Amino acid sequence: MSEDPSQEVPAPKERRVGVFLCQCGGNISDYVDTEKARATLEKDPGVAHIEVQMFACSDAGQQCIVRAIQEKKLDGLVVASCSPKLHTMTFRGAARRGGLNPYEYTQANVREQDSWAHTHDRQGTTDKAVAITRAAIARTVRSRPLEPIRTDTAPSALVVGAGVSGLRSALALSDLGISVHLVERAEKPGGQLTRWARLFPNDKSGRAIVDSLLSELGRRDNIVLYTRAEVVEKEGHIGDFTVKVRTSNGEKVTLKVGAIVVATGFEPYTPPKGEFGYGEDGVLTLPEFEELLGDGSRPIEFHGRPVRTITYVYCVGSRNPEGHTYCSRYCCSATSYAAIRAAGRDPHVRQYHLFRDIRTYGKYESLYERALKSGSLFLRYKDDSPPTVTREGGGLLVKVADQLTGGEGVEIPTDLVVLVTGMVPRENTVLTDVLKLPVGKEGFYNEIHQKLRPVETVVDGVFLAGTAQGPKNTAESVASALAAVSKTAGILLKGYVDLDPLVAKIDTSACTWCGLCAQACPYGAIEEVAEGDKRVAKVVPVLCKGEGACVPVCPLQAIEVEGYTHDQMRSMIEALASEEE
Amino acid sequence: MKVDPSFAERVSKGTPFNAEACLNCGQCTALCPIGIHLLPRKLFRYVLLGAEEKVLEETDTIYSCLLCKMCEENCPAGVHITENVRALRVLLAREEMQLAPVEG
Repeated sequence: MSEDPSQEVPAPKERRVGVFLCQCGGNISDYVDTEKARATLEKDPGVAHIEVQMFACSDAGQQCIVRAIQEKKLDGLVVASCSPKLHTMTFRGAARRGGLNPYEYTQANVREQDSWAHTHDRQGTTDKAVAITRAAIARTVRSRPLEPIRTDTAPSALVVGAGVSGLRSALALSDLGISVHLVERAEKPGGQLTRWARLFPNDKSGRAIVDSLLSELGRRDNIVLYTRAEVVEKEGHIGDFTVKVRTSNGEKVTLKVGAIVVATGFEPYTPPKGEFGYGEDGVLTLPEFEELLGDGSRPIEFHGRPVRTITYVYCVGSRNPEGHTYCSRYCCSATSYAAIRAAGRDPHVRQYHLFRDIRTYGKYESLYERALKSGSLFLRYKDDSPPTVTREGGGLLVKVADQLTGGEGVEIPTDLVVLVTGMVPRENTVLTDVLKLPVGKEGFYNEIHQKLRPVETVVDGVFLAGTAQGPKNTAESVASALAAVSKTAGILLKGYVDLDPLVAKIDTSACTWCGLCAQACPYGAIEEVAEGDKRVAKVVPVLCKGEGACVPVCPLQAIEVEGYTHDQMRSMIEALASEEE
Repeated sequence: MKVDPSFAERVSKGTPFNAEACLNCGQCTALCPIGIHLLPRKLFRYVLLGAEEKVLEETDTIYSCLLCKMCEENCPAGVHITENVRALRVLLAREEMQLAPVEG
């Protein structure tokens, strides 16, 4: 990265920008008159080449861009197409292949922010497309070539949490030759899985799975396990974190790691006393019932009495507009599976499932089918008329309105009530604060994008594995753990990582160190340093995300973000606000 | 109504009754050539829940069935619908009409 702020940005008229207007196969051109936009923008200062494309992101489209850069000797590129979230990397790649610096590229979003938003107004969308593209051109003519920030990576990783996701992550990282520090808060590793005697779909024991992972762990000399330990401090950045872990004897151990995998898991939902009779003898949560069911083969007994009738109430603590609004994913399948096992132990056991919706997705549908065939009866209740659980005489009585017989009131005298409880996020205040992890509205850790970047967080070098991120069954947790491992290894095995150079820079001649920028920065990327005889602010480029919170708070306008300089922002606003004659 | 598992057992005594696999999709009701509104899914549900009263109220319906098997042929869960209707008729004959089984 060039550090010379005095480098002259060529005046707009000297630039040769190529502009590509994408039709997105009609997604844009059905509402925006792309030909008219082309004719309007053609004469704009700095535009050396402009053309309309059916699909700019297609192979043919990208080749056109590469050719135009070379033939027309372009020094800047604008593609007016979809959201930059989708194709910034695509077109930066095209720019690079054409011989252009990728940071001389700007994406103008004329789909999500224009054609899709105003489908009723062709003239309006066309005018707006022109304005948005013009702003992108204005930014591009004031751009300058930038080089990515390269930083070295240490070949070791920290895994937080030694449940199934954490253990699996640690082993997979070790397989790839990355040394692992595995930190577990509890006394013993294994997590929630150790409570489950049998797991769908392969009838394996949770304890046995954990034990086999632990025995494998014992054979690795590049994994260190710390139990009753907690991460208390973190410094540094992707590739080079310094983490302090407080161990069981109160000592602080300092670890150098290149990346961090967070696998802190979930907490089973515990209903408050009285919710569907919870607290009454014979009313259990799903994990409690699982422990009762265990691995036995004789008919189930509870407190020495035979269990002849079991009633399950689904979605307890999940899909509740006033509490946890999400679906916990695993519970329908786990309950169907528990019902199959209960019927296997006693073919005469009566099982009633009171549900709102059954989500035994994918191949787990076969569990639901087996539960039906083994004699379970499913009764649907409506959201607004949940079942009630009361103690009548010596036993429990469940009342429910069965929707499938037209709301018939059904009374079920029962020996056991199983509340099918979901997953809730764990209390991890210290870790959340130390790692600066983003927490979603449900309390789980947030990924960057559910589908496109599912295990990465906004903190570079910190990845998510398993249910710390949200409800998952065991197979899904392991899949996400391995995804996090792939991402981690992708960084650590290369030995270095390239970061976006679109970061803040400080004009130290103007800066007088008031500290406001450091306070505004959510990433702790600004520090105070001495320069000559005065104190000034300094940006740590590897920590900076270029989000710009520091820029408006600076009273001396001494901070700019590369790629979004004051000059560029002003010119973009002017372009957006300009009226067409 | 109170659930009564013994009713389904009584129905099963003569001819086996089995509707556990029913998914309540309604294919059977939609295909019934004589448009029996209740048959068979709701009726079977009454049996499984043990709502004897409700089943007896529908004696005429149970005897209206043509046993054409249109529903059974198309049942995605493979429920033997006509066998179940027979089981109900056997129950009604035995318990309500006090008829003895025909000697073979």
